[in-house]
Amino acid sequence: MSKAKAISAQPPPMPTNKDDINTTWTFLEWGVERIMYSLKEGVDLKTYMSLYTIIHNFCTAQKAVGPQQNNLNSNHRGAHLLGEDLYHRLNNYLKNHLAHVHAEMVKHTDEALLTYYNDEWKRYTEGGIYNNHLFRYLNRHWVKREMDEGKKDIYDVYTLHLVRWKEDMFGSTQNAVMDAVLRQVEKQRNGETIEQQKIKLVVDSFVALGIDESDSTKSSHDVYRQYFEKPFIDATTKYYERESEVFLAENSVVDYMKKAERRLDEEKDRVPLYLLAEIMHPLMKACETALIAKHCQLMRDEFQILLDNDREEDMARMYKLLARIPEGLDPLRTRFEAHVRRAGLLAVEKVAQQGENLDPKAYVDALLEVHTQYAALVHSAFAGESEFVRSLDNACREYVNRNEVCKKNSARSPEMLAKHADNVLKRSTKATEEDDMEKLLNQVMTIFKYIEDKDVFQKFYSRNLAKRLVNGTSANADAETSMISKLKDASGFEYTNKLQRMFQDMQTSKDLNAAYEDWCEQTFDREDRKEGVDAYYQILGTGFWPLQPATTPFVPPPTIVKTYERFQNFYNSKHGGRKLTWLWHLCKGEIRANYIKMNKVPYTFQVSTYQMAILLLFNDSEEVSYDDMASTTMLQKETLDPSLGIMLKAKVIQANPESAPTQSGTSYTLNHGFKNKKLKVNLNMAIKAEQKQEAEDTHKTIEEDRKMLMQSAIVRIMKSRKTMKHNQLVSETINQIKNRFSPKIADIKKCIDVLIEKEYLERLEGDELGYLA
Amino acid sequence: MSATEAEQQVKLVSSDNVEIITERKVAERSMLIKNMIEDLGAPGEEPIPIMNVSEAVLRKVLEWCSHHKNDPAPTQDDDADSRKKTTDIEDWDQKFMQVDQEMLFEIILAANYMDIKALLDVGCKTVANMIKGKSPEEIRKTFNIQNDFTPEEEEQIRRENEWAEDR
Repeated sequence: MSKAKAISAQPPPMPTNKDDINTTWTFLEWGVERIMYSLKEGVDLKTYMSLYTIIHNFCTAQKAVGPQQNNLNSNHRGAHLLGEDLYHRLNNYLKNHLAHVHAEMVKHTDEALLTYYNDEWKRYTEGGIYNNHLFRYLNRHWVKREMDEGKKDIYDVYTLHLVRWKEDMFGSTQNAVMDAVLRQVEKQRNGETIEQQKIKLVVDSFVALGIDESDSTKSSHDVYRQYFEKPFIDATTKYYERESEVFLAENSVVDYMKKAERRLDEEKDRVPLYLLAEIMHPLMKACETALIAKHCQLMRDEFQILLDNDREEDMARMYKLLARIPEGLDPLRTRFEAHVRRAGLLAVEKVAQQGENLDPKAYVDALLEVHTQYAALVHSAFAGESEFVRSLDNACREYVNRNEVCKKNSARSPEMLAKHADNVLKRSTKATEEDDMEKLLNQVMTIFKYIEDKDVFQKFYSRNLAKRLVNGTSANADAETSMISKLKDASGFEYTNKLQRMFQDMQTSKDLNAAYEDWCEQTFDREDRKEGVDAYYQILGTGFWPLQPATTPFVPPPTIVKTYERFQNFYNSKHGGRKLTWLWHLCKGEIRANYIKMNKVPYTFQVSTYQMAILLLFNDSEEVSYDDMASTTMLQKETLDPSLGIMLKAKVIQANPESAPTQSGTSYTLNHGFKNKKLKVNLNMAIKAEQKQEAEDTHKTIEEDRKMLMQSAIVRIMKSRKTMKHNQLVSETINQIKNRFSPKIADIKKCIDVLIEKEYLERLEGDELGYLA
Repeated sequence: MSATEAEQQVKLVSSDNVEIITERKVAERSMLIKNMIEDLGAPGEEPIPIMNVSEAVLRKVLEWCSHHKNDPAPTQDDDADSRKKTTDIEDWDQKFMQVDQEMLFEIILAANYMDIKALLDVGCKTVANMIKGKSPEEIRKTFNIQNDFTPEEEEQIRRENEWAEDR
């Protein structure tokens, strides 16, 4: 601590004349000097009170009237407040005082300067607080009046101290002080230990000097921002720009990211240690620019390598770093999307080598595997961020709908998925646990989400469902309903409406069969009933079931005619006016082979109705010719031949002559020596060619359905809008049906033309279209 | 200030050298004493010289401080509105101010010196109430003021302030 001059411990005499500025100031200066320099030695009560009283007395002295304190009979009192002299003398005193301090200050540099600056600041401001109290009477009256009158350069006594420091000290020393501060910070960044408290004090003093010129009760951070924050940020930027360049020249990007991450944490931790909280944002921004933004291209280039090598942790680090800078992640997302798409296409290419007979499960698993892997990555490395999820979705949509397998036919993906779903839901040798079933169905839904041609999936799914229901091959009714509700959640009520109706029909059929049995019992006697064949009937609503009538004419065998006519009567009596169409190609039955004597228990053949009709012919004659079969059953060759083929292959019947081709001229006999390990022999196998045909048909109907869907959407829109511009109508139509499939604009235009032709719509002026009711 | 600090005793010395002991909390109604203790620490046995106030007045001031020792500290806003505008004085203060004129002015001066804003306000309001509703002549009589205006001056002042006349 410097002493400008020796201060006498003894006070000068108290002024005798209250309004004498010279004796008053002599006493005051002595007191202020003691406070500024000898505060540690203490100021005694008496001195303190004397100083206060002298200021009070000076300010209340009545020059004109003299020392008659209690005489209020003075017309000047109140109009003129004393104190201006005191204020200016104090101001001059502080100027001189600081000139001495300044002279000392410039002798110091670096750490010593910090120490000196802080010590002097502390001493000066502590004295300022004392002086502010002692001069309180001046503050309360003269200063207040001056400020109320709007005088700009008058401050309360404490603020006056700050103003003097700012003007007589700060301007010429802050550069050196800041240099010292920045050198300390650089040392700390280089790993040295520093006295952080010193920097904190400097920050505090810079903040304190933010005096609001217009209102001394407020403070602004302008001084701090300009003289501390700005140079601090600039130095930080420079430091990290240099460091990162040097580091990257010698180290890998992966190591650099670790370093950058550590540096960012360090800087963040530095703030509460000795900086102002408000520097956090600009400081982080500066660090992010120097450490990340400057090198983001390098990191992005590294990203592909990390992806290729599944470096999850490093990717997570890169994500966190790049997430901090504006638009930092966009290039990553683009690359990620392309990468996932490539991975998906590659996986599909691998399984596509199986060719035409591609196993649906293998295909779906290939699609799923890529999705699962990268969904997990999005979650673990990219914080499940929604934009990355979207990139993943985009990529999945691409490779699910446009890959090697779909090359020829874009509808292959939904078809395969539907087949896979069918396999999952079909009863198989291995019972599926309920949990596993749910998991498998959820997997189907995962891919379903990405399918663009959802109508194709719907088609195949409903056909397969119909078959499962009709043939009773569904593994689990709960799983079926669960799947339908999942589809409903994903695509809406309309999408699953028909599927649900199919379920309803199954239930109605059950009730109907029970009612039929009751009816039979009441209508026929026991003998009569025996003539019939035990049968179960399913009544399927034409509109809801994706079932086609048989392609071949067929005369059912007389044995079952009576039975089904009975049912028909019953049904007609219950529901007059409904037409029953028999779907013989979907019917099946069991025939007991009593003619095979070798077994005690006769074999039972599970057969199609067609096969049944053929086999029953042998009840009447040992040998039946191909032509007889054809003429009696009326079956066409395309159906008759494969039906016979299976029975020939299973050696239930024999051709005569042996291995003669299945054609006119050949005749057949039963194989009385038929042998099989099982008692029940299934001859009702789906015919390969039939299956393929079916798939093709399905694809064909899809085109038709799409036209209908587009047309009904157009009509719906026009009905509510009445008139509309052509382009608007097209885009609105796309909007309405895009969750079923992506329509081509040309197709929509065709549909509009068709509707105009059918006089649903008309062309109006310009580009307008009108609705015709 | 903790509870024990509040109960500390401080010794005040009047201008006529009489020691008066009071609670620190009471004494600290005076901003002068409060700031002083803040700067120098609790004085303990050492007496605080209240150089401009005589014993009689100091006792009176301390009586007021004692009664008001638990009042909330005034805030900055108080200045601006209510207290300034109204001349209402609470009952206790009114009774407290029923003293002779000389004492009343001494209290006001002491409150000003010792920086006890609330007491200064009460004192000034009391004076204001003494003036309120009185004619100039009555006011002169009340405060023993000589009329040193010429009749012309008086007339001019009356004209200038006509708008304020209560009619």
